[in-house]
Amino acid sequence: MNPRRLIALTRAGIMESLHFRLGIFVTLFANLIYLVLVYYLWKAIYDSSGTDVVNGMTFTDTMIYLILATALFNFLEMFVVWDMSRSIQSGKIVLDLLKPMRFRIYTFWSYSGSHVVQFVLTFIPTFIVVMIVTGGAIKMGINLLWFVIATVFALIINYSIEMMVAPICLYTESTWGINIVKETIVLLLSGASIPLAFFPEKVRMIVDYLPFRAVYDIPLTMLLGKNGSDTPEGLLKMFGLQLAWILILTVAGNLFWNHAVKKITVNGG
Amino acid sequence: MENEAVVMKNVCKDFKVLNRHEGLAGSIKDLFSHDYKTVSAVKDVSLTVNRGEIIGYLGPNGAGKSTTIKMMTGVLEPSSGEILVNGKVPYKNRTENCENIGVVFGQRSQLWWSLPLIESFKLLRDLYMVPQKEYDEMIELYRSLVDIEPILHKPVRQMSLGQRTLSDILAAFLHNPAIVFLDEPTIGLDVSMKSKIRSLILGLNKEKNTTVILTTHDMGDVDALCKRIVIIDHGQKIYDNDIEHLKNYFGSYRTLKLCLADGTWEETLIDEKTTDVMDVIMARQKETKITDIKILEISTEDVIKKIYEGGSV
Ligand SMILES: Nc1ncnc2c1ncn2[C@@H]1O[C@H](COP(=O)(O)OP(=O)(O)O)[C@@H](O)[C@H]1O
Ligand SMILES: [Mg+2]
Repeated sequence: MNPRRLIALTRAGIMESLHFRLGIFVTLFANLIYLVLVYYLWKAIYDSSGTDVVNGMTFTDTMIYLILATALFNFLEMFVVWDMSRSIQSGKIVLDLLKPMRFRIYTFWSYSGSHVVQFVLTFIPTFIVVMIVTGGAIKMGINLLWFVIATVFALIINYSIEMMVAPICLYTESTWGINIVKETIVLLLSGASIPLAFFPEKVRMIVDYLPFRAVYDIPLTMLLGKNGSDTPEGLLKMFGLQLAWILILTVAGNLFWNHAVKKITVNGG
Repeated sequence: MENEAVVMKNVCKDFKVLNRHEGLAGSIKDLFSHDYKTVSAVKDVSLTVNRGEIIGYLGPNGAGKSTTIKMMTGVLEPSSGEILVNGKVPYKNRTENCENIGVVFGQRSQLWWSLPLIESFKLLRDLYMVPQKEYDEMIELYRSLVDIEPILHKPVRQMSLGQRTLSDILAAFLHNPAIVFLDEPTIGLDVSMKSKIRSLILGLNKEKNTTVILTTHDMGDVDALCKRIVIIDHGQKIYDNDIEHLKNYFGSYRTLKLCLADGTWEETLIDEKTTDVMDVIMARQKETKITDIKILEISTEDVIKKIYEGGSV
């Protein structure tokens, strides 16, 4: 993991992403439509509940959470499964395996540049708009630092989840279905489409310990200073959960990849 | 460093392939099938390539050339036998082996599609940890061998096939690897690009003493680049020697070219030991009018063709 290699890959990734400027505008526009729908949906839910606070969250809390979850989603979104299945079909995977770096590390850093671009061009603008519109609902303090750290961990966990699914395409030819299932599970159980506070108590107990929560819910909870993330114990618990999942998924992902890559090195792909 | 760049001893590679059934019902059956057959792509090949050599690794389609190259790069594990590349077992030290080899696989590119070529070069420079000074020298060397200015700032996506292949070859040599594998690099290129690429490969081999292992179907490549050729067919090595030796072996062969009245040239390959050239000309003259005659030494192309057809050496 020499920094010179990692910086070079990130730099190239930034240049490549900026090349697809149009894609960024399309994303922003799609978000706008999505958020208008979300706004009316949740307004209806709050209106019909008859109270201002549902499951400990006000309407504003919920909106901030969901808007930032969407922005975070754009920023964290990766196409590892899709890219890998294509590069296996075309045989390009051979060229990636012939890079002077471990495949898992090489692939991760090939995406890092596009994360940087997405963060600057979609997350930060969204965040600033939310900040201005809600006028001070987001605290400006140490919580920002926790949020950034938790987001970096979230990025690694998200990549590790992708790398648990992507090698499946070496065993089966149709990854399309698998990819949809993965996306649905992640979006639902991570808090990206419904804040986890709205989940039934029993389900919540399980979901709280799954890796998906560590991707969206933990960074956002820290940003909004909810759920005890403004106390040292709360922080420790959340970071602990993230680090534990990084460890587990990295070990499991490496084992799985080492088995899967034999499909190429022994059977020729 | 040892004098041998590549040593292969009794290397075999078998692929297990599923016997597929036809139709929808067949496809569903295939999901649960364990009905495998074995394809022997490379059979008992032993080969030593010395440093600085350019060898032509030839054979008809499906002979096992790409499979051999993939084993030498470390992306394929041999089923049996030993391979050493730069003194190491490639598939056990793939990442390490990669630092010392360069590859070009015919129609696939390792370049970054939307970036100008120079950016791909800079990225490769950093990935392979090439010192800036060596990188600059290499770019200077490239400048002296080919006109790279027109392509250096062009996005790879906008390049012609020829320019892209040229770029891929330059990229493969950039970190000054000990060995470069070129798997059908000239496929689909026009004559002038082919000759540019040949003189580039030759120049780089001379300057850097790079070992080059080249597969091609173009005997022009072989004539321009390779002193030694290895021929493989159905996975077996059937020839391994200097190209001169081969031509001597077929020394009694002549290519007879006859120009007919309508201006077309007719070609026949004749072994002078068994057939008299004059007899052939006379026999043909009885059937049609001949306006011109040429008798040529056998070309590399014809030699290889004879070997593929089963003329053992
Ligand atoms: N991944 C693979 N799975 C099964 N068979 C393969 C695979 N790769 C190559 N083969 C078979 O091995 C033989 C040699 O192929 P290859 O090395 O690509 O030949 P060449 O490069 O000389 O044209 C062919 O019969 C081909 O069908
Ligand atoms: Mg081939």
